[in-house]
Amino acid sequence: MAGGEEVEVKPIDKEAFNLGFIGAGKLAASVAIGLVNQGILPPSRIFTAHRNPESRLDFTSVGIQVYQNNHQVAEECDVIIFSVKPQILKEVILDLRPLLSQNKLLVSLAVGHKLKALQEWAGHCRFVRVIPNTASVIGEAATVMHLGEAATVNDGELIADLFGAVGKVWKMDEKLSDAAGAVGGAGTAFASIAIEAMADGGVAAGLPREISLSLASQAFYGAAAMVMKTGKHPAQLKDQVASPGGITIAGIHELEKGAFRASMMNAVVAAAKRSHEMGQ
Amino acid sequence: MEALPIPTDTYKLGFIGAGKMAESIARGIVRSGVLPPNRISTFHPHPSRRQAFESFGVHLLAENDDVLEESDVVIFSVKPQVVKDVVLQLRPLLSRKKLLVSIAAGVKLKDLQEWAGHSRFIRVMPNTPSAVGAAASVLSLGGGATEQDGDLIAKVFGSIGKTWKADEKYFDAVTGLSGSGPAYIYLAIEALADGGVAAGLPRELALGLASQTVLGAASMACHTGKHPGQLKDDVTSPGGTTIAGVHELEKGGFRGILMNAVLAAAKRSREFSQS
Repeated sequence: MAGGEEVEVKPIDKEAFNLGFIGAGKLAASVAIGLVNQGILPPSRIFTAHRNPESRLDFTSVGIQVYQNNHQVAEECDVIIFSVKPQILKEVILDLRPLLSQNKLLVSLAVGHKLKALQEWAGHCRFVRVIPNTASVIGEAATVMHLGEAATVNDGELIADLFGAVGKVWKMDEKLSDAAGAVGGAGTAFASIAIEAMADGGVAAGLPREISLSLASQAFYGAAAMVMKTGKHPAQLKDQVASPGGITIAGIHELEKGAFRASMMNAVVAAAKRSHEMGQ
Repeated sequence: MEALPIPTDTYKLGFIGAGKMAESIARGIVRSGVLPPNRISTFHPHPSRRQAFESFGVHLLAENDDVLEESDVVIFSVKPQVVKDVVLQLRPLLSRKKLLVSIAAGVKLKDLQEWAGHSRFIRVMPNTPSAVGAAASVLSLGGGATEQDGDLIAKVFGSIGKTWKADEKYFDAVTGLSGSGPAYIYLAIEALADGGVAAGLPRELALGLASQTVLGAASMACHTGKHPGQLKDDVTSPGGTTIAGVHELEKGGFRGILMNAVLAAAKRSREFSQS
């Protein structure tokens, strides 16, 4: 850590801060566009950079300035989001280090790089780790946040508000990151598999593929919404739709015979374990 | 013809078939004060069975005919295989003034009513924990049984546990669940105890803990009004011991197996009633 001096952290001005993306890829674009479309930030306060600015149409088409150099972004911005690929994150941060004072709030979207490392590379602890998932592109992300030692409560709220533009945000201790990523991140793939399998089942039962897939997707979407909006236990929701000797309980029986629940548990546990291994 | 109400404060109860189930029910009735023992009668040829009932004050009569004449409410507690013969034999004495009850597994109201010659019959499916006052009994009312009749019999069986009223069409499923269910749980208790022993506990301690744990969990489910899913959530803390154990149960398809057991027993019950 730089010098070990106690530096007063200057609060970020919520109404006037500039937001920069280091790494102008798909994830950055979905967040940036989400922010603009939801009216959370005007495009004039969002910046990114790319070797070839013209190629970044997704940004420029909504009025976001694309510089040619990351240094320009780092200088201009108060809140800096590192959205580069994990493999190059270290060199990118080290390269920009002289420009990354503690007055700037730093954010990393990279999977696998812990706060300890990020803070070491940047030279200070005003870092927030944010792990969104793939659904940020449609504004339905499940995003997990971990606050670095010098990130203030206001910093956390600011970042939560930003990423609230593309979905839901949960703040938690970094030690829960492997498990959270397994459920919220990898979990979308598990759900996709379940949707496809249900659609296959529909086809096997005689439905045209398109209808089957749409029904499967909507059934999942609706079921998830029921859990989130009614606040009822999923087991209770299951009870409500499984009438005596009916079709639903017949289907459920098959799931139980196939130890479906264990499969889901196993998947999440395996993903969390792998995440942990990768972080070693 | 309108059925005469059974006088709730003075009625007499008779058991045709003085076996273990009858004894459990009679003991429960006396213990809970639903009836004093001197308003209960039965008959059995064997002295040991007579002794069992006499020991808590029940009247032992010379034959089943006498029990019938003496009683306003008659419970047929003979084995299912003989209930037809017994009812047919006693038919002349089975007036509509008497409320008839059968606890014979798998014997339908339609048949009971045919054999008795009237439909003031109530079918009850209790289960073996009647012996300890923790029965699960389901009642189904025949066409000629009144609502008061139902309430009276619910009170009788309420003295040995909990009662539910249900349509007779559910009885195969009831048999598969509460009828056979105690056996499934005995397996679970023994297996939990084995697990305890495997984990290093002395057998006696393991078995005592296993039984009490199952009892406690069931009590939680009965008394808290919470969904079992919620109760499970309440005790499975993050990365803890309980969720590790639950995971093993799920991997083993525990839930599916229990579903299979209930369905198989219900199916068997249906097969019996069709033969």
